[in-house]
Amino acid sequence: MDQQELHRWEGRCIQEEPPACRAGCPLGVDGRLFAEAMGRHDLAAARLVLEKSMPLAGIVGRLCEAPCESFCIRKDLGGAVALGELERYCLDAGPGRGKGLRLPGRDKNVAVLGGGPSGLVAAFELARKGYPVDLYHLGAQPGGWLRTLPEARLPAAVLHEELRFLQSLGVTCHAVPELDPGLPALARADACYLGRDDDGAIALLANLPAPDDVTFALDRPGLFAGGIADNHPQRLILSVSQGREATVSIDRYLQGASLTASRVLLRHGRTELYTDTARVPAQPRVVAAGHGGYSDDEAVREASRCLNCQCLECVKHCVYLAEYGAYPKVYARRIYNNSAIVKGIHQANRFINGCSLCDQCRTLCPNDFSMAELCLDARRQMVREKRMPPSAHWFAMSEMRAAASETALLRHAPGQKTSRWLFFPGCQLAGIRPQQTLALYRHLLAQDDSTGLWLDCCGAPAHWAGREEELAETLARLKTRWQEMGRPTLLVACSSCRKLLSEQLAEVSTVSLWSYLRHKPLPPALATAAPLALSDPCSARHDRETRQAVRDLLAAIGQQLSPLAMSGELTECCGYGGLMDNADPALAAKVARARAAQSEAPLLTYCAMCRDRLASTGHKTLHLLDLLFPGDADAADLPPATLSGRREGRRALVADARRLHGEEPTEGGRPGDDLHLAIAGDVAVLLEERRILVEDIRYVLSAAGRSASFTHRASGRRLAGGRRGEVTFWVSYRLEGTVHHLDGAWSHRMTIGQEDGP
Amino acid sequence: MKLSFLPEDMDWVCEPCGLPLQPGMAELFYMGNVFRVELPVCPGCGAVLIGEELATGKMLQVEQLLEDK
Repeated sequence: MDQQELHRWEGRCIQEEPPACRAGCPLGVDGRLFAEAMGRHDLAAARLVLEKSMPLAGIVGRLCEAPCESFCIRKDLGGAVALGELERYCLDAGPGRGKGLRLPGRDKNVAVLGGGPSGLVAAFELARKGYPVDLYHLGAQPGGWLRTLPEARLPAAVLHEELRFLQSLGVTCHAVPELDPGLPALARADACYLGRDDDGAIALLANLPAPDDVTFALDRPGLFAGGIADNHPQRLILSVSQGREATVSIDRYLQGASLTASRVLLRHGRTELYTDTARVPAQPRVVAAGHGGYSDDEAVREASRCLNCQCLECVKHCVYLAEYGAYPKVYARRIYNNSAIVKGIHQANRFINGCSLCDQCRTLCPNDFSMAELCLDARRQMVREKRMPPSAHWFAMSEMRAAASETALLRHAPGQKTSRWLFFPGCQLAGIRPQQTLALYRHLLAQDDSTGLWLDCCGAPAHWAGREEELAETLARLKTRWQEMGRPTLLVACSSCRKLLSEQLAEVSTVSLWSYLRHKPLPPALATAAPLALSDPCSARHDRETRQAVRDLLAAIGQQLSPLAMSGELTECCGYGGLMDNADPALAAKVARARAAQSEAPLLTYCAMCRDRLASTGHKTLHLLDLLFPGDADAADLPPATLSGRREGRRALVADARRLHGEEPTEGGRPGDDLHLAIAGDVAVLLEERRILVEDIRYVLSAAGRSASFTHRASGRRLAGGRRGEVTFWVSYRLEGTVHHLDGAWSHRMTIGQEDGP
Repeated sequence: MKLSFLPEDMDWVCEPCGLPLQPGMAELFYMGNVFRVELPVCPGCGAVLIGEELATGKMLQVEQLLEDK
């Protein structure tokens, strides 16, 4: 990812777009932040929010016509939040003005002609920037029409205080009998602002052409004008905004910069921020009971009506995105920075490898932001640059290699020389449900006796791990073998396999097993009495046909369904997708728990891995095969298969399939197969957590695998260690007769004594 | 500074050699890095014992640190 790509990614996440109120404020006041502070009744913080964007807040905040309210998302849900009224309350009831900061003095000076609101604001902004300002006004004191307002709208003391503050910043006020642009003092100034909104600025108005509506520059260089003279309904706020915008130009002009280049333009309410209000109940606007505006309680209640507009559509539904405390725009930069590190720790590796790549975010995002795409790209880059942590996907890759070699099998149907169909159950169904897989295959054979069987790995783990080369090798091998079989159509049970094969091997025609079964007679199936919540696998998100076929099958057997909010296209991952469970097991477990907690009803799914991961949370979960083939059904509370169990399951299925073909089992026996092991429940849990297979234990305990062997003299406990692949395993046990009683096992990747090969 | 990871309990014997383990220097390698540490070693065959606490504690931390470097 280069800088440009980063900006493209960042640009797609709209979470940092301003809320509608801020976008609609001609001064850019952050109404959301203001309301948040007001909701806590933190008036000092609220006033600071105002002063950050609002010049002479004591005056402007009291008189602002609040155009923001016409943009408020609450508008149709009880009425816009009364930001104008809340501002007045904040200024009346809260602390006074904070200390104003003034930049170091500059050697150019500015004249402001006109003491109306826009002139005062222009003088204020320029003085804060360090320019000495001379303000020429009508009447004895500056203020123009502000001085005609009743005390209740603008207390004289407030106006006095704000003018005193203005003068403290370095503004010198001069009363003049008329506002004459020909005043000699103006000609001596380096730049000049003409405020058309002083009360009675007739002479000034008569001769002025209209200024530019963005920069407020007049034709003559150094001359700027603004302010609304007539009784416009937003006279105050527009005058103030024009005065402010003119000072942006004056500052640029005095520094010799372009008036327009990279200028932040007023948004006039335009924002890309999306806020879902579908489930927001209407709540009427709080009306002040008394005449003097809101009471404390009323103000807090009204401020609390603010929706705190955010997008966060993806984050709200994704445990992973929420876990890291931010949103995709921030994450994109985090990932970019991670790849830019040359020396130092890559802090975001786990983050990048933790995404399930389920792409729910893209479906939810109003702008199609896909963390999956971002993370997968980053993983590929890490692999290419040889900085992918070796342990991140180690277990899944060794699983994949085993499934594609020792437990792979490809056969035409028994007695057949060609295949019309090739049943491809995928390695998880084969490993987790070997007996059901075989029963299913027998059923498929009964439908069409030219249905072959292909036990293999589709390569999804390599894809998820970002290992492009290994994926390409896998796909090339699959393609060759498929061609050798005469290019039959694959009947694919696993949604992840089908997604990967259709995306990566488009010429291989695949049919979802569930779509196929839907059009075939079924054995007597059994619906459960209780409704089930159907959880689609995340890889079926864009496979509408399969999702529909499953629902049709369920309808055909009379199975009632309980609603599950995030399903179909919006379905959620079980925590296995994208190898999340490999890279961040704790987070993956949290994801599974969050998914299971979405329904009181037992869950139903048609992915073997989803079934086991959801069941691992203790939530009753069935696989669709349990309903369709009740003779071979597993219970909804069956614990998930262990890692070793899955390997054994695949081996058992291969052996059964060979028998079905009248072949002898070729099980040659692996090292340590004949050892008698006793593994207590707590040790089995430990093995599972540490991803240590029983066959690793057997290997280490066998003479072939053992490289170190010790006995504890006092207790007789034994310890054996040995290297298998990338990992050294240690087994702690007691030997009673011929039985090895395991009491622990651990592993490490470091090598002892000498470095492994390159 | 000498890195030492000797377990409290050194009452171990190397099975093939029949010799009690002794503190000794061993080299641990990972991703092109080498660490010289003091561990229980068989004085006969040089076999090194890595205990559970070390493997799942400091060693794992260092592995992960090196992987993220």
